[in-house]
Amino acid sequence: MEETKSGKSKTIIEVIDSGPLKITGNIVLKDFKRDKEIPMGEVLLCRCGKSSDKPFCDGSHKNK
Amino acid sequence: MSRDQSFSGGRKYSNDEITVYWKPSACIHASYCYRELLEVFDPGRRPWVDMKGASTEKIIETVNMCPTEALTWKWNEEAKNQPVGSDQSNHIRFRRPELLAQDANAPEENPVTIKIMNDGPIVLKGDFSLAYSGINKDFREAIVSICRCGASEHQPFCDGQHRKIGFIG
Repeated sequence: MEETKSGKSKTIIEVIDSGPLKITGNIVLKDFKRDKEIPMGEVLLCRCGKSSDKPFCDGSHKNK
Repeated sequence: MSRDQSFSGGRKYSNDEITVYWKPSACIHASYCYRELLEVFDPGRRPWVDMKGASTEKIIETVNMCPTEALTWKWNEEAKNQPVGSDQSNHIRFRRPELLAQDANAPEENPVTIKIMNDGPIVLKGDFSLAYSGINKDFREAIVSICRCGASEHQPFCDGQHRKIGFIG
């Protein structure tokens, strides 16, 4: 986790090419459809629409 | 009172306190406006914006969710308008002065809110850095919608395709 000038943690969001959205940092996640536990630290969110563990990535994007 | 008037690039709608500006060319059909507040934003009605449909506060909240500059707003009383967050040069959002005062005391980095919309995109809100396609950009007080259905033609951003393909997720 990157530190900013103020010493506070910074949220980093990375769009992985042909893969999920990787979020690292201080977040509040709200899923309007499901009641899912929020993993601490790092979250991988599905971007392909095929995950069976939505909103999280389960690697389904690799299956053609 | 609800008025419907033209301005360059679109139409504007006023109540006694604020004016909402709509630029159709900037709309990416992310659809927060009518999903959040159909009483005001109803695409099936003409005019499609009814400023009498909800409180000023609720209208401001919904307009601020718009991921592009398609919907923006200003106080009718010019002195109350203070620009904040101009990461997009043609996009200046205005906030209530009492919220600006709160921001001044807030920690520099607030938690980022991640909303997973029903059958829709991931909506990122707050201060964060976003890396995509070799670009690394810092966002401040921003709202960005990321495609979750895989069908957007403006990847990684949402362009409303989830509705056309009937995405469930």
